[in-house]
Amino acid sequence: MLDADATPAPLALTGVCLTLPSAAGPVEILRGVDFTVAPGERVAVVGPSGCGKSSLIAVAAGLEHPTSGEVRLLGEDLARLGEDRRARLRRGRVSLVFQSFHLLPNMTAEENVSTPLEIAGEADATRIARDWLDRVGLGRRLRHYPHQLSGGEQQRVALARALAARPELLFADEPTGNLDAANAAAVTDMMFDLVAEVGAAMVLVTHDDALAGRADRVARMFDGRMLQVA
Amino acid sequence: MAPLSARLAARELRAGVRGFRIFLACLALGVAAIAAAGSVAEAFRQGLSSQAREILGGDLAVTQRLTPFTPAQRAIFEKAGAVAYAASAEAMAQAPSGERRLVELRGVSGTYPLSGKVELEGAATLAQALTPDGDAAGAVVERPLLDRLGLKIGDRFLVGNVPLVIRAVLVSEPDRLSRGFALGPRVLTRLPVVEAGGFLDPGLPFGETVRIALPAGADLSVAKAALEAALKRTSPDLSYRLTDRADAAPGLRRLIDELEYFLGFIGLASLVAGGLGVFGAVSAYLEGKKPSIAVLKALGAEGGLIRDIYLIQLGLLALLGVVIGLMVGAVAPLILGALVQDKLPIPALFALYPGPLAKAGGFGLLAAAAFSLAPLARARATPPAVLFRHQLAGRLVLGIETAGAALAAAGLAALAVITAPTPLAAAIMIAGVAVAFGLLWLLGSGGAMLAGRLRGATRGAWRIGLANLAGPGSAARTAAPAIGLGVALLSAVVLIQSSLLAQVSQVAPRTAPSMVFSGLSTAQGPAFDTALASAFRRSLTPDTYLRAPFASGRIIAVRDLPLERAHIDPADRWAYDNDISLSAIGPEPAKSGVFEGRWWPPAYTGPPLAAITREVAKGADLKVGDSLTLEVLGRRIEVRIAALRKVDFGGFGANFPIVLDPAALAGADLRNVAIAKATPAEERRATLALGRNFPGVNVISVREALGAAADLFDRLALAVRGAAAVAGLAGLLVLAGAIAARAQARAKEAAVLKVLGASTGQILGAYAIEYGAVGLIAGVAGVALGYAAAWPVVVEVFQATWSVDWTGVAALILGAAILAAGGGLLAALQALAKRPAPTLRAE
Repeated sequence: MLDADATPAPLALTGVCLTLPSAAGPVEILRGVDFTVAPGERVAVVGPSGCGKSSLIAVAAGLEHPTSGEVRLLGEDLARLGEDRRARLRRGRVSLVFQSFHLLPNMTAEENVSTPLEIAGEADATRIARDWLDRVGLGRRLRHYPHQLSGGEQQRVALARALAARPELLFADEPTGNLDAANAAAVTDMMFDLVAEVGAAMVLVTHDDALAGRADRVARMFDGRMLQVA
Repeated sequence: MAPLSARLAARELRAGVRGFRIFLACLALGVAAIAAAGSVAEAFRQGLSSQAREILGGDLAVTQRLTPFTPAQRAIFEKAGAVAYAASAEAMAQAPSGERRLVELRGVSGTYPLSGKVELEGAATLAQALTPDGDAAGAVVERPLLDRLGLKIGDRFLVGNVPLVIRAVLVSEPDRLSRGFALGPRVLTRLPVVEAGGFLDPGLPFGETVRIALPAGADLSVAKAALEAALKRTSPDLSYRLTDRADAAPGLRRLIDELEYFLGFIGLASLVAGGLGVFGAVSAYLEGKKPSIAVLKALGAEGGLIRDIYLIQLGLLALLGVVIGLMVGAVAPLILGALVQDKLPIPALFALYPGPLAKAGGFGLLAAAAFSLAPLARARATPPAVLFRHQLAGRLVLGIETAGAALAAAGLAALAVITAPTPLAAAIMIAGVAVAFGLLWLLGSGGAMLAGRLRGATRGAWRIGLANLAGPGSAARTAAPAIGLGVALLSAVVLIQSSLLAQVSQVAPRTAPSMVFSGLSTAQGPAFDTALASAFRRSLTPDTYLRAPFASGRIIAVRDLPLERAHIDPADRWAYDNDISLSAIGPEPAKSGVFEGRWWPPAYTGPPLAAITREVAKGADLKVGDSLTLEVLGRRIEVRIAALRKVDFGGFGANFPIVLDPAALAGADLRNVAIAKATPAEERRATLALGRNFPGVNVISVREALGAAADLFDRLALAVRGAAAVAGLAGLLVLAGAIAARAQARAKEAAVLKVLGASTGQILGAYAIEYGAVGLIAGVAGVALGYAAAWPVVVEVFQATWSVDWTGVAALILGAAILAAGGGLLAALQALAKRPAPTLRAE
C-alpha cells in the first residue's frame, strides 16, 4: 500500500447513507458506510443479495447520489460536482465492469472499446481498442456485435473497454456472475493480471469467496452496513 | 474526421429505422397532405396565369352595368386597341310548346372572341352559327336549355319577343371563368339582336363589357392607367369596373387560396395528430436506449454529448420523413393531373413547384422538432444509475430541448397563420386545434384514471383491459387524443355539411320564396298580380306574395365623406364594392326586423330616409342618424338612416339591403320585383301563363337553384370528407404506433396470462375492451369537439339553421371504437402468436 499522505486514496466513503423511495415506503439501502481504497489496492466486497453491494458501487462511482455522508472519488468530493462534472471525472480514470456486461448493442466489439477512449479525447482510440481486444483474445472478433458474441466474450470486451484507458480505479460488479465456471476463471485471471499491469485500484463486488480471496482485502457487508474489513 | 457525436450517431443508426416507421409515416402523411394541397393550388394559379388573356378575353376589360357605353367611351376603347363588345341580360326563353325558362342572353360583336376559341357542337365557327335565318337570328345555346325546353339544333324559340334559331350547342367560351355565375343556361347571339330586343333598355338589369386587345409590345399597366384616366375625363359620373389580364378571375383566385388553406389545414391537423405518433416513437426509441445512454454516461459522456447523438439521429430521420412526404405530395398531384386534367373546369398546369414544397417541408421539420425534442430532454437527463435500478422512470425535464420544442410549436403556429389567406381565421383555427388537443389529452387521461378506479369492481378480461387502460403506457393518453383530433375534424366537416345541405334542401324550401319575378314595370304591377293569382288559382296573401319597387344603386359616400373601401373589413365590403339592390316602401312591412330607430310614417314626404340591414351598417359602422350618399339610376341622393334592420336573407320578405322612403325616389321609373311561395304545379302554371302577357318578366325558380346547390353540395361532400379523413388516418397511425411500442410488453403479458391459465378468448377480449374504450373515448370526445367547432360556423358564419346528422355522428363514434378495438385484437393476436416459454426466458 502506498503512503496515503503522498497520494490521495482513489476512493473514500465516510458515513454514506442511501435511502430510496419505493411504493411501500422509503428503503434504507446503505446505512452509514465508511470505506476507503488505497491506490493500487484490490478490495473485494462480499455479502448476501440485497445487502447493498451494487448500490455501494453506484454511489462510489458517482452514478447515484448518497442521501448523506461524503464520497471522495480520486480526491474530489462528489457532492460538489454536477452530473456532467462527475462524468468528466470518470473519463479515462474510473471504469466499471458489470455482471450483465452492458455493451452497447449497436456497436461492434472494437467500437465498444474505442468509444470511452474517444469520449476522453484519445486520438488513437481505434488502435488502442484493437490492441486491448487482442490482449483479451478477441483480436479476430473486432467487427462482431455483442449479440454475435458469447457471454464470456462479451465480458472480455467489457474488460478491455474498462481497462483500455488505463484507469486509476476499476469497479467490478459481479463480473463473473453470468458466466460458466470455465469462462469465469478465464475472465478472473485476465482481470487480475490486467488490473495489476495498469496499476489500477479495484473494488470487486462478488458472492464468490474464491474470487474474493484473490483480493488484497475483503470487506463484508450486511443489511447496508460494512461489517468487517479483513 | 466527423465529430464524436456524429460518429456515435452513425453507429447507432446502423441498426436501421425499424422503430421509426410510425415516426416516418406520421411526418410523411402530414407533409404530403400540405405539399399536395399547395402543389394543386399552385397548378391552378399557374393555369389561370397562363391563360389569363383567354380568361379575360383580352388584355383589358371594362364592364358597365345598367347603362350602355356612350359613343365617347367607345371611342376611347377603340383607340386603345382591338375591341370586342358583349352585353348580357337575364331573359325568358320560350319553346314553341310554350315551355319557358330563364336564360342568360349574351350578345357579342363580330370581333368576339379576341382571344381563345368558342367551342361548339353542330357548327364549325361562331360566325357561321350566328348568321340569321329569315326573321330569326342565329344563336348557340347550352345543352341544359335544349333538355329543359325539348329543343334541338335547327329549332326556333323566343327570348322575350325575339325569335332565334338554334344553330349549335355552346360547349365553352374562352372568357367564361371571368364572368362568374349565371342563373340560367347561356344563349349566345349577336349584340344588335340583344339591343333590338329591348334587353338593354334603361332601368333593366344588364351589363355591357368591352374587351380590348392591346397592340403588340404595349405595356399593360401604362395602357390601363391611360384608359382609366381617359374614362374619368369623359365620363366622370359613370361607374364601371376595369380589370386587366393580370387578375383575370379574382374570385377564382380567392377560391383557390381558400381551398389551399382548407386542405393545408387538414394536413396541419394531421401533422399535429401525427405528432403524438412522433412523440410516442421517439419516446419508445429513447426508452429502449436508456441502458446505452447510462453506459455512455458511466463511461464519461456528458449530457450534451448524449443529446447531440440522438439529436443528429432524430434530425436525419425527420429529414427522411419530410423528404418522403414531399415526394408523395409532389408526385400525387402530377398523377392526379394526368388523370383528370381534361375534366377540370379550371385550367391547371401540374408541375413541380418549389414554393409549396418548401412550405410543407418547413411545417414538417417544425412539427418534428415540436414533438421530439421533449423526449430528448428526458434522454439527456437519464441518470447512469439506470444500470442498477431499471425502474427509474423518465419524467418531463425542463431544459434547452423543451424550450426548443415550445419554440418549434410556436413557429408551427406562426407559419400556419402567416401563410393563410385570412390570418385571423387561421389563428382561431390553430388555437382551436391546440385547445382541442389539450382537451383530448385531458379526457384521455381522465378515461385512464376512471378505468383505474373501475377495474376493482370488475374481473377477468374486463379487469385486465381496464388495468392496461389505466397503466403507464395507456393508449388513452397517446392514441385517444390523436384519433380524437381526426374524429373532431371529420365530425366538424360532417356537421357543417349536413346543416348546410339541410338548409338548402329542407329549411330554405320551407322559408324562402320559391319564385322570383323581375323585369316588371310599376305600371304592369296590378295586372301582373291578377295574372299570377289566376295562374296560381288562388288569391295572393302577404304571407305568400310580395311585390316591391326595385333598383340597384351604389353607396358612394358615408357621413358626407367619400367612401374609403380600404378601411372596410373585406368580409363586409360586398355592400360597398358593387351595386346593391334597394327598394322604396311606404308602410312598414310585417316582419320588417327593425331593431334600432323607427320606420317612417306611411305617407312620409320629408327629407329622404333609409332603413338598412345590420350587415350594411357593420361595414362602415353606420348608426341611426348617419348620412349616406347613394347613386341610383344616375342620380345622387343623400339619405339619413332612420332604422337598422335584422333581415333573414334566406327567408320570405322585403329583404333588400337598403329600403328608402317612396318620396326619395319619386319620379323615377322603377322596375318591380315580386316573390311568391308556390307549389311545383303552381310554379309550372305561372311560368307558362306569364309567357302570354308578360314575356319580358323573368321568372327565376328558387326551387331549381336550391336543387342545383344541393347537388353541388352532394358532389363536394365526398371530396371534402375524404380530405378530412387524412387527419383520421394520422390518428390510426398513432394507434398503430402505440400498439407497436408495447408489443414486447404485450407478448410477455400474454405469456404470463397463458401460464396463469387465461384462455385465448379472455386475452383477446381484454385487449378488445382496452382499445375499444380508447376508440370510444376518442370518438365521443372528438364528436363533442367537432360539434363545438361546427355550431358557430353554421349559425354565425353561414347564418343557417343548426341540424345534426345523427347517423353520421353515430358512424364516426362507432367507427373510431371499432377500428381501435380491431387494432387491439390485432395486437392480441400478435402477442398470442408468440410461444410463452421463449418469451419468458428472454426476460
